[in-house]
Amino acid sequence: MRAVLNTGRNISQGIAVEHKGSPAYQAAVSVCHMNPVDLMELGIDEGEHVTLTSRAGSVVLTTRAAESMNRGEVFVPLGPYANHIISAETHATGMPDFKAEPVDVVPTDESVRTVWELMESIGGVRYDH
Amino acid sequence: MIIKDVVCPFCGCLCDDLDVEVDGQKIIKVQNGCTLAEATLTGNNRLPAPIRRTANGWEEISYDDAIRETADILCAADRPLLYGWSSTHGEAQSIGVHIAELIGAVIDNTSVVCHGPSILAIQEVGHPGCTLGQVKNRADVIVYWGCNPTEAHPRHMSRYTTFATGFFVPEAQKDRTVIVVDTRRTESAEIADEFIRIERGGDYEVLSALRAIVRGKGSILPREIAGVAREQLFRVAEICMKAKFGAIFFGLGLTMSNGKYKNVRNAIELTDELNRHTKFTISPLRGHGNVYGSNEVFTWITGYPYAVDFARGIAFYNPGETTAVDILRWGECDAALIVASDPGAHFPHAAAAHLAKIPTILIDPHRTATTPLCRLQIPCTMAGIDAEGTAYRMDGVPIRYKKLIESLYPDDADLLRRIHDRIREVQGA
Amino acid sequence: MTELLVKNACVIDPLNRILMEVMDIPVRDGRIVESVSAGADIIDAKGCLTLPGGIDSHSHVCGTKVNFGRYMSPEDMRAGRTARRGKMHVTSGYYVPTTYGNSYRYSAMGYTTVLEGAMAPLEARHTHEEFTATPHQDMLANTLFDGNWAIMEAVRAKDVKKAAAIVAWTLSAVKGYSIKLTNPGGTEAWGWGEDVSSIHDAVPNFNVTPAEIITTMIEANELLHLPHSVHLHCNNLGKPGNYRTTLETFDLVPDTNNGRQTLYATHVQFHAYGGTTWRDISSKAEEIARAVNAKPQIVMDMGQIMFGRTMTMTADGPMEFNLYCLHHNKWSNHDVELETGSGIIPVLYSKKSLVNCVMWAIGLELALLTKNPFQCLLETDNPNGAPFVKYPEIIGLLMSKRYRDEECATLVDGTEQRTAICALDREMDWNEIAIMTRAGQAKALGIAAEGKGHFSKGAEADIAIYPIRCRDVDPATEYRKVIEAFRKTMYTIKRGRVVAREGDIIVEGANSTFWVNPVVPDDLNVANDPEFVKKFEEYYTVRMGNYPVQDVYLPRGKCIRTKAAL
Repeated sequence: MRAVLNTGRNISQGIAVEHKGSPAYQAAVSVCHMNPVDLMELGIDEGEHVTLTSRAGSVVLTTRAAESMNRGEVFVPLGPYANHIISAETHATGMPDFKAEPVDVVPTDESVRTVWELMESIGGVRYDH
Repeated sequence: MIIKDVVCPFCGCLCDDLDVEVDGQKIIKVQNGCTLAEATLTGNNRLPAPIRRTANGWEEISYDDAIRETADILCAADRPLLYGWSSTHGEAQSIGVHIAELIGAVIDNTSVVCHGPSILAIQEVGHPGCTLGQVKNRADVIVYWGCNPTEAHPRHMSRYTTFATGFFVPEAQKDRTVIVVDTRRTESAEIADEFIRIERGGDYEVLSALRAIVRGKGSILPREIAGVAREQLFRVAEICMKAKFGAIFFGLGLTMSNGKYKNVRNAIELTDELNRHTKFTISPLRGHGNVYGSNEVFTWITGYPYAVDFARGIAFYNPGETTAVDILRWGECDAALIVASDPGAHFPHAAAAHLAKIPTILIDPHRTATTPLCRLQIPCTMAGIDAEGTAYRMDGVPIRYKKLIESLYPDDADLLRRIHDRIREVQGA
Repeated sequence: MTELLVKNACVIDPLNRILMEVMDIPVRDGRIVESVSAGADIIDAKGCLTLPGGIDSHSHVCGTKVNFGRYMSPEDMRAGRTARRGKMHVTSGYYVPTTYGNSYRYSAMGYTTVLEGAMAPLEARHTHEEFTATPHQDMLANTLFDGNWAIMEAVRAKDVKKAAAIVAWTLSAVKGYSIKLTNPGGTEAWGWGEDVSSIHDAVPNFNVTPAEIITTMIEANELLHLPHSVHLHCNNLGKPGNYRTTLETFDLVPDTNNGRQTLYATHVQFHAYGGTTWRDISSKAEEIARAVNAKPQIVMDMGQIMFGRTMTMTADGPMEFNLYCLHHNKWSNHDVELETGSGIIPVLYSKKSLVNCVMWAIGLELALLTKNPFQCLLETDNPNGAPFVKYPEIIGLLMSKRYRDEECATLVDGTEQRTAICALDREMDWNEIAIMTRAGQAKALGIAAEGKGHFSKGAEADIAIYPIRCRDVDPATEYRKVIEAFRKTMYTIKRGRVVAREGDIIVEGANSTFWVNPVVPDDLNVANDPEFVKKFEEYYTVRMGNYPVQDVYLPRGKCIRTKAAL
């Protein structure tokens, strides 16, 4: 399914934002909110996983049904998961397209990676002492 | 012990009416704050000591070594980037700018991925705003456009707008009309008297339509504008023009979607237009506690609110070129100092990935998503918890963060001052 | 102990009636003394003009609106920039320079003390932060009370003592220096998009008039024994015909202080317009000057405009909106809850605009028609009329009729008919210029007693040595030399330390901020008044406990204590 990715803050992201390695943070920001009809169209239930693929990359997320979402739009809270597929292009404004990234949404059985795994995939070394 | 009138450092509201109960070096209870305040003040995820990345993991190092190594890395760099600054106090920000000046660095703050486009718009058309108390005491019409204060600024409505009792609006919500404009039906939309749901990317059009109506040119409008019925816009324009005092607050829904600063410019010009009929103000909902302070401090020292490049000796500013995301995605910088922010989590990964390729130093109290990317992390106090200092509220009101508990961590201003002095020594030699 | 001897200085010190005497100035530990030892450092002034450090008694250089002027103007930041060099930080900007830019340029011109023209109490902390980053001038802050709710309530209740007590608490809380009223009552009306149009209009919802606010505050000011008088930006700024409002306002002012004026009227050029519209605007400088000549209780400053680009910025929010409607340029506004307003818009003063030419002429007329130079001080309301770097040109205009004639010849037709500028022959002398740029300011601000603006023994050793020998130059014809000399000192000395040499700053600054703490009896202290506290907590968005500016913001604060007669 083609969709437009929107990102932004929400409460659970804000509460956990200073605990980037915590399960609460991962749970808050590795979620893909989507319209229930879109979920139905993909043939999956809330809580199952999808891969979002953009021009910049792809990432696996847990779905959540949200009546507030328009069809064809998905919302992922601000954080490393959303940023794994947001392009760094800024059109000479300094600001990436955090609210308008076109993505493909495909159901998957793959598991959601941890924050540390994501950071390692871009050259980082985990610090989990 | 209970400390009164505590300032919450989390978001740009800088609520200063919290009561915090402290037991020794621990915060045990937070009253009056929102859930974000409580999580911020009671959280404990501090990095215990400075760490250095090695070939096979991490090692702890001393503060002296960390400071020396930081200064050496920055001095050796051809194009260093200093980024972050919004979660600390003005005293640290100010020294940061002076370090940038010394080494010819680019210095940028988190407004680049927040309200940077709003600043660009203000530089084109100005900004008719006011302090939040002006809204609290007078506003009978409140507009939230492309923002969701219920989740991002949870007490904005109760302290300053919808639910606040003001001198000329004693009945709070009854006396105020609330208009919410968004592409999603957010929680904030549920509170609105009038919810305008626009199609994604339709902000500019809807703003233009409202401007046309306010100018008396509504008859040229089509039946529907970006998914919004013309009749609703006529109704909303009338509410605005009949307001005694109207206040627009806008968020990243305008700055991050297509059009970016042009959306904000259009919103400001709508406000200008409304001022020919009544009193109207417009204000960005600033995110981080002291992000506005970083704009203020950068401005009085360099002349520019963000994205300042000292490579030429003078202060040079060209967002899109001298902004952090761009410099990182082009792989332009060869060293980075990150202070009080987390680009690892909040920058597109192609930009963040460059931090892992170059020597990056992180000065931050917490383990963050930038920690794995850096060469060196130096933990410090957190402004508003174990350090005092100046912060600027989203409306420009300067407030002093209190120090609530003693800790053994150094203040980031002190760390930066030592790095600054060390750089001068190295340069002098 | 540090000692300095300035030798062969051609001194003008109007407060001590010293006029072009060649003498030595001994300095020890930052103060003027009788004599110094043989080991003192020596500066040879070589017979050049030596004045007490310049004092600007009305300039917008620090604080919320000034910084917003920078923030919204990258085009101006590009218009003046210097790299880090020696002890000098990077600077940016021409008409709203960065704090270091302001400080260095003032220093190069021999200025050592500056009063910030308008500080909103709620945002005072910001002003003080920028004061610290303006390191080469001692700073003072005019504190805004024009739309203060508690003050207006006291005025309505005709309770002068209460008004005085509110001023006392506020000044000491925000570390302010003096009472500033900007369009009194008008800034509150602007909270509803309205304004007041005469000093007898009622302020909406408060039922007080600007005239009542002004007279009550003058009385309160004198009860508190503040060093400076009430500092007033009159109502109706920039409106044709406004000279009537200005004259009416002057008529409100009693002569109640022996040491200084009772009212300081600022940037009076903007308040001296005849006519009814922009089409028939004319100068009423003669009427204004006549009133001031007859009223020793009034001191004004010129508010001179100079042609070119600049930025207008004032607490007078409604005035800025009117300007926006004229210019359609970018417009910023910033109302401050329970206190005041502010607005900003860039302007271009053009010789092709008759209105601008008339404005230019009025400022000069005011200075030339005021008999006593202590009553008309040289300012541009920086940056509103022009950036302060234009002061030397204004000095040239005041000292040379020929220069004025040359300038007048380049103005648009009609200027001569609307103003009297071409008919004025007066050419000011060196002493008068010294009065209009330092001695007058020291007296008006009440800081002569703090050792400012003169070379008496014990005075602060703020000294400006200009590269010009007064007796060798005829300012009437050689005005270019005068202008050049006032642009750049040979030496600017601050508290006995050379801070600038031929325009370059050579040390890190260490300025002081002067503030006033009027001591009020406990029973009148509003902090103990439950009603005042209750309203504060209810209507401000900052807790009363978080409002006062902590001492840490004034690393070298100098508190002047006064004992209130309450």
